[in-house]
Amino acid sequence: MNELAVELRHIVKKFPGVVANKDVSLKARRGEVHALVGENGAGKSTVMKVLYGMQRPDAGEILVDGQQVRFRTPAEAIAAGIGMVHQHFMLADNFTVLENVILGSEPTKHGRIDTAAARARILEMAAAYGLDIDPDAMVENLGVGERQRVEILKVLYRGAKILIFDEPTAVLVPQEVDELFAALQGLRAEGLSVIFISHKLDEVLRVADNVTVLRHGQTVAEVAADSVTAQDLAELMVGAELPTAPPRSTVPHERVVLSLQGITVGGQGTRDLLHDVSFEIRAGEVVGIAGVEGNGQHELIDAIIGLAPCQGTIVYNGTDISRFSVARRRDSGMGLIPEDRQREALLMGSALWENRMLGHQRSAPVARHGVLQLKAVKADAAVIMREYDVRAPGPETPAHALSGGNQQKFIVGREMSRQPSLLLASHPTRGVDVGAQAAIWEELRKARDAGMAILLISADLEELMAMSDVIKVMLRGRISGTFDPQRTTLEQLGVAMTVASA
Amino acid sequence: MKSRSMRWSAYGILGVLVFSLVRAITGSSDLTSVGTFNAALLLAIPIALAGLGGLFSERAGVVNIGLEGMMVMGTWAAGFWGYQRGPWMGIVMAVIFGTIAAAVHAVATISFGVDHVVSGVAINLIAPGIVRYLSVIVYQDSNIPGAGPTQSPSVQSIGSNGLPFLSGGHVLGWQSPDLLGSIGAKGWFFISDISRILRGLTGDVSYVTMLCLLLFPLSWYLLWRTKFGLRLRSAGEAPVAAESLGVNVYRVKYIGVLISGALAGLAGGFLAIVASSNYQEGQTGGRGFIGLAAMLFGNWRPGGLLMGSALFGFSDALQLRASDAVHSALLVIAIGFAVYAVAQWRQGRRVGGAVTLALGLGVFALFTYVKELPGPFVTMTPYVTTLVVLSLATQRLRMPAKDGVPYRKGGDS
Ligand SMILES: Nc1ncnc2c1ncn2[C@@H]1O[C@H](COP(=O)(O)OP(=O)(O)OP(=O)(O)O)[C@@H](O)[C@H]1O
Ligand SMILES: [Mg+2]
Repeated sequence: MNELAVELRHIVKKFPGVVANKDVSLKARRGEVHALVGENGAGKSTVMKVLYGMQRPDAGEILVDGQQVRFRTPAEAIAAGIGMVHQHFMLADNFTVLENVILGSEPTKHGRIDTAAARARILEMAAAYGLDIDPDAMVENLGVGERQRVEILKVLYRGAKILIFDEPTAVLVPQEVDELFAALQGLRAEGLSVIFISHKLDEVLRVADNVTVLRHGQTVAEVAADSVTAQDLAELMVGAELPTAPPRSTVPHERVVLSLQGITVGGQGTRDLLHDVSFEIRAGEVVGIAGVEGNGQHELIDAIIGLAPCQGTIVYNGTDISRFSVARRRDSGMGLIPEDRQREALLMGSALWENRMLGHQRSAPVARHGVLQLKAVKADAAVIMREYDVRAPGPETPAHALSGGNQQKFIVGREMSRQPSLLLASHPTRGVDVGAQAAIWEELRKARDAGMAILLISADLEELMAMSDVIKVMLRGRISGTFDPQRTTLEQLGVAMTVASA
Repeated sequence: MKSRSMRWSAYGILGVLVFSLVRAITGSSDLTSVGTFNAALLLAIPIALAGLGGLFSERAGVVNIGLEGMMVMGTWAAGFWGYQRGPWMGIVMAVIFGTIAAAVHAVATISFGVDHVVSGVAINLIAPGIVRYLSVIVYQDSNIPGAGPTQSPSVQSIGSNGLPFLSGGHVLGWQSPDLLGSIGAKGWFFISDISRILRGLTGDVSYVTMLCLLLFPLSWYLLWRTKFGLRLRSAGEAPVAAESLGVNVYRVKYIGVLISGALAGLAGGFLAIVASSNYQEGQTGGRGFIGLAAMLFGNWRPGGLLMGSALFGFSDALQLRASDAVHSALLVIAIGFAVYAVAQWRQGRRVGGAVTLALGLGVFALFTYVKELPGPFVTMTPYVTTLVVLSLATQRLRMPAKDGVPYRKGGDS
């Protein structure tokens, strides 16, 4: 059982201006869940892409089952039994789940795709690993959690023996994480190897057998999971202590910033995506929304920002804005951190300073009298990068060259820079490392104390508990419960998220 | 599935009914004549082929506005080899020439990352120059009758056939009876109309036309039912994902563009050999672009683009044959709008329904008060009808997500 499935020896990978991997070594055994941790930009995704044949290393060796290999394409890595679930989903939106899963290894019968066989096989795997999915659904209609299940099915479908998961839990709520981990245990029991990247250190300790720690592109330690604490790991990663949240010392103001009255968003079927949602957010207050992905959170944000047509009344700073355009809502001081950074918040091919302008193109310092102030924008982008510790060569760097966590930090910085009076934050710390997470929380707290209202949607219940003044649980498009984080346990929240309170 | 095909047959029968009615009221027999529909088929095919070419390329993520140029290459090759080696060889060489032009587009856009539109425009500009040059070399000083720098000598025609028994087709040299034709001549309301339409579409059809028509279901099957098709479409939707699953995206894109050129070349060959009898300069007349438009409004699907092309072919045939028939067609259009308005209204789309109804009334007014349409207006009809009908019929256009976006291998997401 303990033979090495994969070994990476002294991998080096350079990009123009950055050394992503200086010297990475890693050993994963058969029947092991091996975690890979490190700060944002430490080089975790890069080294996994090297293993998966998507990037070619500048130096170093890769051994699979003791044999030295050299993958030029993912196809070769797949053939060698390696599969990868990417940090940022790689799915064709306009395809069905089934098409996405079988693409590249399609079962055929007399020259045509054997859809029936593929569907049967997908359903069988889905049942075996508890990955609930409709094979014929269009991917564009799926929520993040479901998309991830598609990604996992893609890998399993190819019969991979070595599975790489790049931050699979960032998008999942606790129940889903439990399901995923159960699936991972199943894979491990069958002698497969799992390499697992995560910033959530308790999870890492819970699921992994061994942990490799990267810092600035170098392997700094390999430790057995049962011999360390989360605190130790954090110190190995960043050389800092795990942050602890101080209890709130200020109180929210009386002034209501946002008031929702009976907001309903219709769906295609009979059930509304969002049904009769009403609540208020006061200045300096954080309202947290808990819920399993796809229970109306996305629609709630879209309705408030004006992207989804809805019934009901939205009053913002005393004005009824129900009929306002998105532009008018943003210009009146709404900030937005969308749930999917690459699809909704960034132009991946454009420089950071260009991304700085998105959503702010009409107001200072980006524009004056309708003319873009490019110099000021670049300077401002540099300020954001400094304040939010975005690790990249400079404002000219294209967004796709940033690690996922650094992209996220930049978006948070951009939205905070205008000092919005209301921040709609979907998973604001998704994919950022523990250190940066603490920093972002600190910024949000400061802004909150200065009077900013925050609608916080998060899959991370601890984040919700630490930040929110009140937590609302969403279930099937309705608010199914309201909780005081001081007097609620994680378990109670978890139950409310899945079972309708009678 | 079954109910869907039944619904479509119902629409078809309803459509023919409206046509018969209008024909009976206005007396313009060309609306449902055998000749109109036979001509419509000839006019629709080149456009549909060009559109199908565009489909293959764009589904693979490469915009191909060079279709027109590729067609031009096809017309010339068809004329030259058709005259020397017979019409079938002409068709084959047209396909090859179209493919060669497409190879240029493929190398430029896929391997060198040239902007797709720039490369396509270049091909459209260069192709006419090349064929003119070739014509001057081979035809200028030759004494072949009919040959010149702007046209080839005439090419033998390819045989044609029809459905045996129904449309007077011949089987092994024996001429079968022409049932539809004789019913069509009877002058029975609706029955004769529908017979004439079917006779026009199934009688005296060139073998090449049959072959071309077969390409549509075949392409649909290839693109939506086979492994190759899934991979080709994935290159247009999510090339990075496809690459990460081991699909050779470059290769798939190359194949898509080459097929695209082959089809455009075939369209050119059809124009030169089937729709006319020799190569003439400027023969394509913008059909490559019309095909592209049909593909766009057909929502990047073979069925949709075929319908768009058929509509264009029909209105073009009508326009060419008889301008009084175009005038009568206005009544058909007015009725069509009215029906569509009701459908919209019932779906709860009040505003859209009202607009459509207003359009219909406008057309009806045109029909009643303007007795003779001015010439340019008549020439314009195919373009206008196709545009209006298709833009009303298509609810939501969904182009391939990464269509026209240059793809670099290993490009990080
Ligand atoms: N395609 C690229 N071009 C240039 N630089 C890149 C590219 N991909 C990654 N980098 C750089 O390499 C470094 C490592 O990135 P990587 O994505 O491996 O980090 P990571 O450990 O996965 O971080 P995170 O936890 O934020 O996902 C970063 O500094 C990043 O900016
Ligand atoms: Mg990463």
